Amino acid sequence: MTAIPLMKGTLDLLLLKALTWTPMHGVELTTWLEQRSGGELSFDDSGIYQALYRMEERGLISAEWGVSDHNRRARYYKITAKGRTHLEAETQQLVRYGELVTGILTAPTKARA
Amino acid sequence: MSDGRTIRPGVRRLFHLGVHRDDVAAEETRDEIAIHLAERAAQLEARGMSAEAARAEALRRFGPVEPAQRLLVRAAQSRERRLGWRDRLDALRQDLRYAWRTTAAEPGFAAVVVVVIALGVGANAATFGILDKLVLRGPDHVEMPQQLGRVYATMDVPGRGPFTGSSFGYVCYAALRQRTSAFAGVGAHTRPGEVTLGSADEAEQVLQADATWDLFPTLGVRAVRGRFFGPAEDRPGAAARVVVIGDRLWRQRFGADPGVLGQSIVLDGISYTVIGVAPAGFTGAELRRVDAWLPMSLRGPRVAEDWQTTLYAQWLRIVVRRRPGVSPARASVEATAAIRPLFAGSDDQLATSDVTVRPLGFDGAGEEAMEARVARWLDAVALVVLLIACANVANMLLARAVRRRREVAVRVALGVSGARLVRLLLAQSVVLAVLGGAAALAVVPFASRLLRATLLPDVEWSSMAVDARTFAVALGLTLATGLVTGLTPAVLARRRDLLEALRTGVREGGGRSSSLRTLLTIAQAAFSVVLLVAAGLFLQSLRQAQSVDLGVEPERILMVHARWPRTAAGSAAPGTSTRDRSQAFYTQALARAQTLPWVESAAIAVGTPFNTAFTVELAVPGWPELPRLPGGGPYIQAVTPRYFETVGLRRLRGRDFGPADRAGSAPVAIVNETMAATLWPRRDPLGACLTIGDPATKPPCATVVGVVEDAHRDSLEEPRAMQYYVPLGHEQGFGGSVLLVRPRGVAQAMIEPMQRVMRSVDPGALWVDVATLQESLDPEIRPWRLGATLVGVCGGLALLIAAVGLYSLVAHAVASRAHELSVRVALGAKRRDVFWLVLRRGLGLAAVGLAGGVVLALVVGPRIGDLLFHTSPRDPRVFACVVGALLATAALASLLPARRAMTVDPAAVLRDE
Repeated sequence: MTAIPLMKGTLDLLLLKALTWTPMHGVELTTWLEQRSGGELSFDDSGIYQALYRMEERGLISAEWGVSDHNRRARYYKITAKGRTHLEAETQQLVRYGELVTGILTAPTKARA
Repeated sequence: MSDGRTIRPGVRRLFHLGVHRDDVAAEETRDEIAIHLAERAAQLEARGMSAEAARAEALRRFGPVEPAQRLLVRAAQSRERRLGWRDRLDALRQDLRYAWRTTAAEPGFAAVVVVVIALGVGANAATFGILDKLVLRGPDHVEMPQQLGRVYATMDVPGRGPFTGSSFGYVCYAALRQRTSAFAGVGAHTRPGEVTLGSADEAEQVLQADATWDLFPTLGVRAVRGRFFGPAEDRPGAAARVVVIGDRLWRQRFGADPGVLGQSIVLDGISYTVIGVAPAGFTGAELRRVDAWLPMSLRGPRVAEDWQTTLYAQWLRIVVRRRPGVSPARASVEATAAIRPLFAGSDDQLATSDVTVRPLGFDGAGEEAMEARVARWLDAVALVVLLIACANVANMLLARAVRRRREVAVRVALGVSGARLVRLLLAQSVVLAVLGGAAALAVVPFASRLLRATLLPDVEWSSMAVDARTFAVALGLTLATGLVTGLTPAVLARRRDLLEALRTGVREGGGRSSSLRTLLTIAQAAFSVVLLVAAGLFLQSLRQAQSVDLGVEPERILMVHARWPRTAAGSAAPGTSTRDRSQAFYTQALARAQTLPWVESAAIAVGTPFNTAFTVELAVPGWPELPRLPGGGPYIQAVTPRYFETVGLRRLRGRDFGPADRAGSAPVAIVNETMAATLWPRRDPLGACLTIGDPATKPPCATVVGVVEDAHRDSLEEPRAMQYYVPLGHEQGFGGSVLLVRPRGVAQAMIEPMQRVMRSVDPGALWVDVATLQESLDPEIRPWRLGATLVGVCGGLALLIAAVGLYSLVAHAVASRAHELSVRVALGAKRRDVFWLVLRRGLGLAAVGLAGGVVLALVVGPRIGDLLFHTSPRDPRVFACVVGALLATAALASLLPARRAMTVDPAAVLRDE
């Protein structure tokens, strides 16, 4: 089975969601996403960083250099209060959108006259 | 914050911004990518891949590295730029919020600091307003004042030395207009004088000045309504009866009626048509209010018939605007070349005078006005007050920083950077300074209005007490105060010191900061001494000025003079001319005054001390030419009997005039001491002969019948001069009576009742003015009063501020030495010894400051020597008083903490430790 490409805009939400657990660096985030999706989502690792930088500029997350578990320097990302609000609002919208679209698409097809 | 990685991100970023910001962002991005790839490869390797394969897989999963990296670097740079600003704003907001919280947490402390800053900034704002008007900015509504100047002539008067004056005739004005090329504009004006507006009950005195039409374009002013008069209305021989009124008159008399143009107003009984309203605050080239401007060509004929050409009448001041690029020196050369030839061949001093162009701010004698010089000094004084206030506030902030150093040290230990700490402290002091500045601005309008009205009442101030310039100065000073007072403790609050502080505990004095605080306190005391000495010197000058024996006693005497509508000579019926009415009025007024029980004595005089002085031709047998004394003269006055009694002059020999000495009686005269001693040094002046008047008319001998003491004529300080008196009615060639009254009790209080009585004497008079003679003298004394009051207030403030500073220092010392003091008491020191220990420390500090201040005052003092009156800048009495005052204040300030130290409970303190 081929992996599904990420839908535009959803990567941001997934990353924010990941950061609600704990601050993480880029590799941790990548791994988290891989494990959670069971490898079914396809994305370039560099795309993660583009999303992170964009969100940092918007003030949804903040970043700070720290030391990783393997005693390596790493840039840790942390969700801000603004990020949490954003995540909540967007998640609700996305879920409702999903339900709506799913509802329409999975409705019994009208019998052909 | 449990997580060590979550320290506020902006803080670090804030300090490595700057020029390399973009480079740093790029480098960090490349780092992050490299780290990612390495970490990813390690991960894959751990799952069993070969190192080679893991590395290739990591790269594949990342995507094309080069383009991704370029994209990411650009994104990171844009992000850093944006975040940099956001962080800075954030940090600022945070700092201010923190500063506000700490300020509000200690309201008492904040209140003291705010009041101290308000005093310092307020003193500066109020005095700057005065300086700005008198020195920096000059009259309102004048364009490019630096190009403008007033014309002066310096002449050598035989027997008097060089003399500089600013009065010229119309011929000089005309010559400057026609025979020079250095000037873009020339205008002439008279100084404002009182005239009566309206008549009867509605009459009021207003200030009127005459101007040539070109004065207004020369100054560059435009009327706010209508226009100023032009050449057609100011044409000699055909002048129009038009007037331009001042803003104040327009508002008060016409209720700011826009339809005022074309209406008529009556000045001294003559009607003029209003053609314009001058802008508010416009005072011509000088600073005194003008309510009505009349064309010079209306005034001329009243000065002399040949007013346009005569060389012998000097009644106007000339204002010039230099063309761009023309130096004052060249302007002066041209002006001299234009004016001297006019007088060639005449005996007038102007034939050889040096004509100069000097700034508008100079007084009639071509010097910078006394008020301006005093204002300069006042501003310096206000700055010193601000310095003292700054020293004080820095001191208090330092004390607070020391008090809170455990808290600060904890912050440092938690990782707050030194720079950020400095910013926090700065934010606190700036918040306090801004509060202080705001408090100052709230009070300054009242203070400066009071200052202006009482100290410089003749100057027309613009209506706003705090204009934009004053506000800018106050704002600048406020921020400077915040920075200066904040930086001192901030510099001291550096990380290492604070960690040191944390280690040593609160008890120790904190070496460096406490010695700095001591220094600041000593500096405050020293500056206060300087200010107090200055105030004392001005006060001493004022006392000296007030106690000068003037001969006459101006504060005891009321001067009454009345005005009638002007009538052209010879046009009125007999008995109704101004002259006749005047004579009748004063005769009746004198009779009335003498019947009043609250009047001690009264007399009519032609020629009044501090107001008018006359000279006429005089010959004395035995003197081919009269000796010239430095004071000029001899001066003549015509007076009724009891004049000397009324003004307070002692009669030394002979008799007073009597009722028999009247118009037409045998000519007699009374001379002053100086005249008697000069003309008849070795013989009795009584019976000597004075030939008064034009020798061609062969006037008869006036016999000297008495000698009186000398009287001042004009000012506080003047060389001796010969004076003589003749009976009223014997005056020839001069005139203009006033009634002088010596009431019982305080003259000032009798002005109102006297005015009522005098009005009833001639209800037809336009205006009856009653004032003390002192009023004529007040402008002379004003500089010292100004200096004594303002420097005195500043000195008082400084002393108060210094006292607060000393108190807080000593109190702080007592608090931080409580441990040591307790040990002393526990070891058997008497409580009295502890008391003295503390008191000695306070007084010791004050004494060091005092010594420094006295030395400074001795050095600086002579620089204000020329502002003082009969007072040495090193007057020992003044210094003694200041030393006493400062020591007493220091004792008071140390007394409270000393008492507290005495009552310290050793057991309690030691238990606390």
